Amino acid sequence: MSIWRFFRGIGWRPVASYFFMFLLFYAILELYAVQRINIGGAIAVSLPLAVGLAWVLYRRVIKPLNEITRTARDIARGNFYRQVNISSRDEIGDLARSINDMAARLRATIEEITEEKNRVQTILNSMTDCVIAVDRDGRIIMVNPAMESMFGITREECVGKSTVEVIRNFDLDNILKKVQAGNKPQTREIQIISPEPRIFHLRIAPLNSSSQGGAVVLLRDVTERRNMEQMRSEFVANVSHELRTPLTSIRGFVETLLESGTDDPEMTRHFLGIIATETRRLSKLVEELLDLSKIEERRVVHRWQRVEIPALVDRVLAVCGSHAEEKQINIKANFPSRLPPLFGDPDMLAQVLINLLDNAIKYTPPGGSVTVSASVENDEIRLDVADTGVGIPAESLPRIFERFYRVEKARSRELGGIGLGLAIVKHIIKGHGGRVDVKSTVGKGTVFSIFLPMDNPTVENNARS
Amino acid sequence: MSARSNFDRTLKEIQQDILRLGSLVEQAVYDSVQALVKLDVALAAQVIMGDEMIDELYMQIEEKCVRVIATQQPMARDLRVAVTGIKILLSLERMGDHCVDIARATMCLSGHPYTVKPVQYIPEMTNIVQQMVKDGLDAYVKRDVEKAAEMCAMDDEVDFIFNRIFRELIGCMKEDPTNVYQASYLLYVSRYIERIADHATNIGEAVIYLVTGERHELN
Ligand SMILES: Nc1ncnc2c1ncn2[C@@H]1O[C@H](COP(=O)(O)OP(=O)(O)O)[C@@H](O)[C@H]1O
Ligand SMILES: [Mg+2]
Repeated sequence: MSIWRFFRGIGWRPVASYFFMFLLFYAILELYAVQRINIGGAIAVSLPLAVGLAWVLYRRVIKPLNEITRTARDIARGNFYRQVNISSRDEIGDLARSINDMAARLRATIEEITEEKNRVQTILNSMTDCVIAVDRDGRIIMVNPAMESMFGITREECVGKSTVEVIRNFDLDNILKKVQAGNKPQTREIQIISPEPRIFHLRIAPLNSSSQGGAVVLLRDVTERRNMEQMRSEFVANVSHELRTPLTSIRGFVETLLESGTDDPEMTRHFLGIIATETRRLSKLVEELLDLSKIEERRVVHRWQRVEIPALVDRVLAVCGSHAEEKQINIKANFPSRLPPLFGDPDMLAQVLINLLDNAIKYTPPGGSVTVSASVENDEIRLDVADTGVGIPAESLPRIFERFYRVEKARSRELGGIGLGLAIVKHIIKGHGGRVDVKSTVGKGTVFSIFLPMDNPTVENNARS
Repeated sequence: MSARSNFDRTLKEIQQDILRLGSLVEQAVYDSVQALVKLDVALAAQVIMGDEMIDELYMQIEEKCVRVIATQQPMARDLRVAVTGIKILLSLERMGDHCVDIARATMCLSGHPYTVKPVQYIPEMTNIVQQMVKDGLDAYVKRDVEKAAEMCAMDDEVDFIFNRIFRELIGCMKEDPTNVYQASYLLYVSRYIERIADHATNIGEAVIYLVTGERHELN
């Protein structure tokens, strides 16, 4: 039985050919033994036979095997589209078919894996959070593009390095070590100071699959959110402070009047004057706060319409002009002859110019000048309010649009400033789809520039959405 | 594992430890000046307490370095790696101490808003110093001689600002005696910051020595 199975296993063809060869050899040997042929004859018979056999062997076995070897090598190099072109119905043909089959299967699997990988890559690429994957030794295996742009590094630079070599942050390194040791995910908020100080929500999770001991680090930038929170609490503190100062002084004078009576008309007048000033301050503060919150929440229905700039400036000058004259400040308006109209809410745009002019006049010593000018600059209308005043120090420039920010609190307060004017300007201009810019030299003067889009109906939609 | 690869591994470990210490010091420099500018006492206290960690880590790493030198007796380049490690460690530790000095000054200054103007130059000066510390450590990671040299050149800028602050603070004191308290503390502080920059150049020099084997006095 086992012999039968053995023959079944190799098939009848090899058995038959070996049997045939054996018979042939036996025949020649027999002929030679009975001296029917001599040695020359034997060679003459067997040589063509051997050559014929060799040729058959070459055609049917060696050549196809060579072809198969070449193909297998090609496939190993990654050319899965390569096929063996042999269709004979023997063992060699079987081998060729198996190889073709294997190539096809490999091709399918690899395509599947590539697609999967691409999908994961796309997800990683589109993430705004920074992702780093590290292996057991803490060496970086992968970083995503968000990571590259946030820290100004390239993938090539970091792969293979340890995390401290790429992001020097003690907390991150420590937590990573802890996760790798304890195999439990960790979250924390950390500050990373370079390339610029930012606050991140950090999450590190162990990688449990193939790379035992590895971990994934996720960094989400929460700087903006933290700043907002801080601004909000500062805002409340500021408002309370601003309300308390005038209230304290009003209360002080009222109580004095109540106690000492109103016998001295001179003093009474003086006190009432102060009370009036402080009350005005209070109501101005409340008004500006309301304005600001309305604008911020976009509760104001913008009355979108054409606004002619010269008319707008005339209207503003009517309000601010007297103040300038009192301080002997010369106001100049400077327009090209043909100016396109603006689109927006005329009252709000007037408010913007009033706030800017008010500042320019306030922070310019007597005898100086203030210039309002307009021009067209690539699809934008530019309005400049320039003064020859005290200027703003460079380090304060980024902050002046913040609510309640004043460069010199004491002096600004004396001048009646609350620090909301520029915050209102910024919000109105943003609502109109424009932007504000400021350039200043201490002691020389300041230029506030407003850029508004030229007649752009989409602004309306933006502002309402 | 062969002795050689074991040794290489220890050196690599030491480098990473130094970077960890560097991260702490970078943060301390940043925090101490933030605390100073904002007169934030809590942050200043944090810097002072954080220095303990710096000192401890410093001692651990130093011991590691010494042990490597003693037990492996490295030669030539390897010896350079170990020796540079110690030099950088020392500089970092000194920087940490200066941060504590700045934080202490902040404690003394707290409670009264700044009246002297030159305080505005301090963030400018620290920005440069912060960059120097960062570049120094980056150069160390990348063995980047050019970056190290560039970083060392920034020290001149720091000295320049320091001199300006010095002059102006003296001016403030002459102008108005009530400024003397604040101005004298700020004098100290700017001096400390200037010293931090000097230590940063030491790191740069160490990196250059590490790579080229040559000693350079860069300032
Ligand atoms: N034209 C200007 N020249 C100099 N400083 C200015 C000018 N405009 C604004 N500032 C500075 O910006 C700060 C913020 O301005 P603003 O928001 O209008 O508040 P304020 O109520 O104090 O005028 C002012 O306190 C002032 O220090
Ligand atoms: Mg104003």
